[in-house]
Amino acid sequence: MDADTLTEPMDFKVSELINEVQIEHSPSFTKLVNDTVSSIQNSIDKIPNNLVVTGEEAAGFVRDIGADKVEFKFKKPKSIAIGGSYSIKCVVKPDVSVDLFIQLPKECFHEKDYLNHRYHAKRFVYLCVINKFLKSDSSFEKVEWSTLQNEARKPVLLVYPAGKLPEVPGFFVRIIPTAKSLFNAAKLDLKRNNVRALNQGGTALPTPRYNSSILEDMCLEDNTEFLKKTFFGQKALGEALVLLKVWARQRDSIHSHDGLNGYLIAIILSYLVAYEKVNSSMRPLQIFRVTLDFIANSKLWTRGLFLQKQGEVKILKEDRMLYKESFPVVIFDSTTHINLTFRIKDSGFSELQDEAALTLQCFGKSGDSAFEDIFMTKIDIPAKYDYCVRLSLKGNNEFYSSGYCLDEECWRLYEKKVQSLLSQGLSDRAKSIRVIWRNIPSGCSLENGLSTLDGEPLLAGISLSSLDKAFRVVDIGPDAENKEEAARFRKFWGEKAELRRFKDGKIAESTVWESEQWMKHLILKRIVEYTLLRHLSISKTSIEQTVDQLDFSLLHGVEDPMSFSSSLLGAFDVLSKRLRLIEDIPLKVSSVQPLDPAFRFTSVFPPEPHALASEKASIPRPHKLTSSCIQPLEVMIQLEGSGNWPMDDVAIEKTKSAFLLKIGESLENSWGMTCTATEDDVDVFLSGYAFRLKILHERGLSLVKRETGSDQGKQVSSADQKLFVRSQHSSMINGLQGVFPIYGPVVRLAKRWVASHMFSACLSEEAIELLVAHLFVKPLPFTAPCSRITGFLRFLRLLAEYDWTFSPLIVDINNDFNPSDKKEIYDKFMLTRKGYEESSQNISPAMFLATSYDKASEAWTRLSPNVLELRRLVAYARSSANLLTRLVFQDQTESYRWECLFRTPLTNYDAVILLHGDRLPYPQRLLFPSKLNHGRLVARGNASKAFQPFMLPGDLRGSLDKLKNKLLVDFDPLRCYIADLEKECSTLKMWYDSLGGDAIGLTWERSCSKKRDREEASDDEDPIDVLKAVGEAGKGFVKSVHFLKAPRLMN
Amino acid sequence: MGNLKEKVDKKQQKKSKKANNRKFSEKDAMIKKEDERNKVNNPAEKKKRKREKGNNFDGGDVTRISREDDRTKAEREKKRNKLRKKKQRSEEQNNALVGKYDQLSTESEDGFNEQKCKSKKSKKKKKEHDTSKEDENILEKSGETDHGEAYCISSVDEDCSKGMKKWLTDYNQSRPGLKVLQQRLDEFIISHEEKLEQERKEREDQAAEGGWTVVKHHKGRKKTTDSESGIPVGSVAPAAVENQMTKKKPKEVGLEFYRFQKREAQRSEIMALRSKFEEDRKRIQQLRAARKFRPY
Repeated sequence: MDADTLTEPMDFKVSELINEVQIEHSPSFTKLVNDTVSSIQNSIDKIPNNLVVTGEEAAGFVRDIGADKVEFKFKKPKSIAIGGSYSIKCVVKPDVSVDLFIQLPKECFHEKDYLNHRYHAKRFVYLCVINKFLKSDSSFEKVEWSTLQNEARKPVLLVYPAGKLPEVPGFFVRIIPTAKSLFNAAKLDLKRNNVRALNQGGTALPTPRYNSSILEDMCLEDNTEFLKKTFFGQKALGEALVLLKVWARQRDSIHSHDGLNGYLIAIILSYLVAYEKVNSSMRPLQIFRVTLDFIANSKLWTRGLFLQKQGEVKILKEDRMLYKESFPVVIFDSTTHINLTFRIKDSGFSELQDEAALTLQCFGKSGDSAFEDIFMTKIDIPAKYDYCVRLSLKGNNEFYSSGYCLDEECWRLYEKKVQSLLSQGLSDRAKSIRVIWRNIPSGCSLENGLSTLDGEPLLAGISLSSLDKAFRVVDIGPDAENKEEAARFRKFWGEKAELRRFKDGKIAESTVWESEQWMKHLILKRIVEYTLLRHLSISKTSIEQTVDQLDFSLLHGVEDPMSFSSSLLGAFDVLSKRLRLIEDIPLKVSSVQPLDPAFRFTSVFPPEPHALASEKASIPRPHKLTSSCIQPLEVMIQLEGSGNWPMDDVAIEKTKSAFLLKIGESLENSWGMTCTATEDDVDVFLSGYAFRLKILHERGLSLVKRETGSDQGKQVSSADQKLFVRSQHSSMINGLQGVFPIYGPVVRLAKRWVASHMFSACLSEEAIELLVAHLFVKPLPFTAPCSRITGFLRFLRLLAEYDWTFSPLIVDINNDFNPSDKKEIYDKFMLTRKGYEESSQNISPAMFLATSYDKASEAWTRLSPNVLELRRLVAYARSSANLLTRLVFQDQTESYRWECLFRTPLTNYDAVILLHGDRLPYPQRLLFPSKLNHGRLVARGNASKAFQPFMLPGDLRGSLDKLKNKLLVDFDPLRCYIADLEKECSTLKMWYDSLGGDAIGLTWERSCSKKRDREEASDDEDPIDVLKAVGEAGKGFVKSVHFLKAPRLMN
Repeated sequence: MGNLKEKVDKKQQKKSKKANNRKFSEKDAMIKKEDERNKVNNPAEKKKRKREKGNNFDGGDVTRISREDDRTKAEREKKRNKLRKKKQRSEEQNNALVGKYDQLSTESEDGFNEQKCKSKKSKKKKKEHDTSKEDENILEKSGETDHGEAYCISSVDEDCSKGMKKWLTDYNQSRPGLKVLQQRLDEFIISHEEKLEQERKEREDQAAEGGWTVVKHHKGRKKTTDSESGIPVGSVAPAAVENQMTKKKPKEVGLEFYRFQKREAQRSEIMALRSKFEEDRKRIQQLRAARKFRPY
């Protein structure tokens, strides 16, 4: 399609996407396919007819599936034909493969071979013979075993040709045996039992899945033929199929053996064509939408679909009911012998419907990012589900104790068992649970039996319904009088079940999961662990749940400091009451508003109450560690209006200080609170916390507004304006936090991550809060995260994958924006990107964050990160996100464990300063003491004795007032050091961790020489001398300075 | 004590080296000298030195000064050459790194080797530091270039001009107590007001000098704007003004009253759509360039 004729940007992008993923059937590609197929044919032709084949070829396999009478004389396949997506020209990159159907000859089978896995055994042995001959042929690079839709009893052969084509890396041909008209279809009816081993007390049970497994092979060719007919000449339909495949492939939870695959998507599409829900005049995207709508909303799923027109349906109503009972989803093929979706499980289908519905929402709500949300975002299990459970079952023989394959395979049965255990154990805490065990890795050797197919871990994803439910402490079970139910409950929960009397007088069975407030996210973990351990014979170590692995980064000692939040909020209430009551100042306090992140639960380390900072302070006991520093929390005050304020900035600030001093004095006098002040800040102590008071003067605000209005270039941001923006931000985030309780922990992890990779100077805390807020207010194509790790992973991915250069990130927390606002934001954004054409570095801000109080992204990201910093940030985020994803999927080797997410490599800097960890104001926040083996040690120094992070027992003697004076408010040597360095060394850029890291990374500033001559630049100081000076400036704090790379001289 | 003399020598050389960097004529002379010395010590190195144009004095210095026996020296030399080769290779990769880098690399190599060879000596050095505090700095400097030992940050708890001690002093000085602060503020405000008053007077005087008298009009409406900045003061609250402004708006003629307005609106809407379309197209080209359509 010509790109210029398209009007919608979405259509544009979609056609580009199709170009990107669809394989061109170029002469070279066609030749490669034909050559490979004909050499396969040649190899098979070399196999002597009547070669006697026995089960010995694959004794292990035959034994494990329980087949007998496997001998036959080899005959050539009846036909070899290309089928699958290649035949309808809908192969989708990246895994390019061609299906080759090999029709098994009737002569090799007996009439009754459909019984007891004989067909499966012979099918495999037949393939084994072919495999042997293919392997001896040099025109193939390698031949591997794989399986059809993860069904171990139905292996297929993957043939990689020796000849390669650069357009299609990793191309292979999949040899799939078919069994056209091998058996009488009536014998494989779903009511019949064909696996004699499956019986209950002598009565044979029906084997619908086993029967379907054989029928599938019998109908494969006919159905492929049917698809070919449908798709022939229908370009738009084919493209829609490609889109659907891309869509499904991005969604791990539905693109699986018990969910959707390319074949089934094609079947569903052809159903829609047959029933004229889709016609040839539609565009691919329209067909895509109609299909998703059909999947998500159609009522027909409850009846079952028929690929043939209603009039020709020969199936009886009772039979249809029977099918519906046996399978959650039914699509009858054109011959109406078989349900093509016999592998789809309940959970798989509901997941499919959910995803389709979510995608339809994307069309409406995502706006410009709809395309990315639908087609480009990877929705894998770690990012989609709130909790992930991984079971390593290697060597566990519980699940195949009654045989590997009966009606269903043991692995599928185990999936179901885990699924039902989890859903029973979690009840309404979970919205959806999905258990997937992709147990067959490609390239395994099936000949030796099936016992080795348990190497891959089983994964279960859990989506929470709501946090209230998930964090519930007591689960109320059935009433005690309901004997039957109660007994069942007791059986499930064992000793965990208790009979309890509730407030309303009800006596019921229940389970209680007592937990501290800050550990409530672990309740779910405990339930899962308890349930699985009780009902499955597995050990505790084989259950790995991604829940609390990152909590270590937020703890203060052994406890999460978040647990002090309620006392902090209480103290704030008292303070604001007292402030309003003050009478002896000229203007009364009209409002008090919290500014610090600790008040909105987004501070990584909200302060703990300090023994010396409360009114009833007592001298702390010497055996307890008492910090000698205290973090002040900013609080904003507004005063009554008055016309007597001075007019210029400096005077306004001084007047504010005067007011604050008066307020402090008044608090001291009337409540006995302690007040300490500098020229700019006034801090008061209350209930163990230090509050830093700030006054917002509204008129200062309007002053500035007018100035900027008249002169756009001059961007004044006065103290008042900054305060105003911060207060707006604070109240907005506070509101959001109330709606999404998990928002706080996610922000804290994100902040900790940013800081621990020494980006404290690049990305402000508020910017991080906005980024995380975006995950919650615009969760599509996901739903809002309900666990900290999932939220954190999505934060990393947002940072890594968002197109920062060409798109603004609009964080619309309260749904304030109308189209004209959005246009305004876009216009402002385009202005900032004007310079891009000239130089890709010439864009500022590099990260455009628009909010309702700051449409031009001036508040938080105006100065930093710049383009280079952002690039570094993105690279770090990408590697952390990848590591985190891998950690969820499987155990990593020792050196790549969870803590690596917060351990930053020090080798990426030109020089590194290591600090004395025990001179940090809060040494307990240091995650890992840094070590450095690279580079050259330039300077080293001893720790100062003048400062100790904890009060020494000796200090604790003496009067209380003296002690209080020793308490350092807002003293941070790191901040002082950075400030000094910034003043002194313009040639160095500092990277540091403001949350308590003991290392500072230094890079030589590239633009340092600017327009100075080279001569002058080379006259600059020797880098070693610079670093020595750097060490000198941090006297008593710096442990050592290391030199890694010399500065580059740029012209 | 020979050791100490050496150091003094070394120090002087260092000084002269710095001078050299600035004055080129002197530098040349220096190079000659250096070369001569090198000839005596290590003729094989000479050619290389020349090519590098005297950028690595330090390397030369060290070879000259160190009193190791010849065998270890040769070994070290070898090692260094190897390292240097490596460095040079990497240097080729980024052409931006010129002489300075080279000099640096030799220096750091020296440090490397020295550290290995002379750990015993460095221990001795430490003791010396402790005893003679006065010329510590000098010792440090020379010691460093001499033996590659790390520079030690000195007088941690005495020096109040830098580091932890300074920060603590700053902290304590910034909190003199409420009374003092109050006083300072009062002083500031008084002087500030005086200054304002004076400025006003000066202005008036100036005006008077120019033959003008300031006429004050006190009758009628109360003064609501500041004469200098034009900013409303006193009785007019900004909130009230804004309120009024918002009330005014709807009084204007409806936007779709005249036909030309409608036409204009339509036209601008079409223009907006077109511009958005153009933007989208541009963006898609950018995306295409960045291969943003590959979902894997």
